Amino acid sequence: MKTIDEITRLSAEDLERVSLDESIPVPEELSGKVREAVTRADEAAARTHRLRWTLPATGIAAAVAILVTIGLTRNPEPKDTFDDPYLAYAEVEKVFSRISGAVAYGAEKVNESEQTLEKYAYWK
Amino acid sequence: MKQLYILAAMLLVSVSAAAQDGRSLYNKYSDNANVEAVYISPAMFRLIGKIPDMEVEDGSVNLGPIIKSLSGLYILSIKEDRIAEELADDVNRFIKKGQYELLMEAKDNGEVMRMYTVGDDFVVNSFVMLARQGDEVDFICLDGTMPRDQLEALIAEATKN
Repeated sequence: MKTIDEITRLSAEDLERVSLDESIPVPEELSGKVREAVTRADEAAARTHRLRWTLPATGIAAAVAILVTIGLTRNPEPKDTFDDPYLAYAEVEKVFSRISGAVAYGAEKVNESEQTLEKYAYWK
Repeated sequence: MKQLYILAAMLLVSVSAAAQDGRSLYNKYSDNANVEAVYISPAMFRLIGKIPDMEVEDGSVNLGPIIKSLSGLYILSIKEDRIAEELADDVNRFIKKGQYELLMEAKDNGEVMRMYTVGDDFVVNSFVMLARQGDEVDFICLDGTMPRDQLEALIAEATKN
């Protein structure tokens, strides 16, 4: 019987010749063992392939989770200034009044500019 | 693998961009001395929305639908030159990063008032007003899903008065 080292040193032609030599007795359980070994090798390869994608994906997911957590802890929701919705409501009205005032101020400046332009056009 | 790294980079950018908002500015400045700060949370806006018979008239515009569409209000009023300058710079950066559009600008004798919005043709997701008068800066940020037509009607009404 040949050792594993001797078998691995055989060329492809030698291996083919040996496999075709029907005078060499083949153990009955060999076919099952070979099939089992191939299945195990396939499963190991599939696990390695899955790990190759799973590890970076898990790393990225963890990094994103850490960043989101840092973002949330660094930028927490502030405390409400008002406890009473009516007071909050009054503040919102005040804000809209300020915005309206600012817009009206802008419109007034536009009107003033238009009047200046009209005067200029008249004197010209 | 390269695609995963690109995705991760994009996520990092979006996370850091998300940190640049009205809330982060409010958190940065609201505890300073010489700063007046007001915050109204989404939960409080939900309570406001439940106030019965909410009728807010400003000229002929009913503010009710706009108020009900709000989800956050941040106000900062700063009266110290150094901090006011810093806030104005931060707001300008946040406006650029948030892709806000200039709605209106008025300047007079060193006073500057600018209004910005971000959203689409129908909805305004955020409204920002930055006013600077001497060493005083006022910042107002309204977040929500404001109907653009209502907001424009409000602005148009203000220009009539």
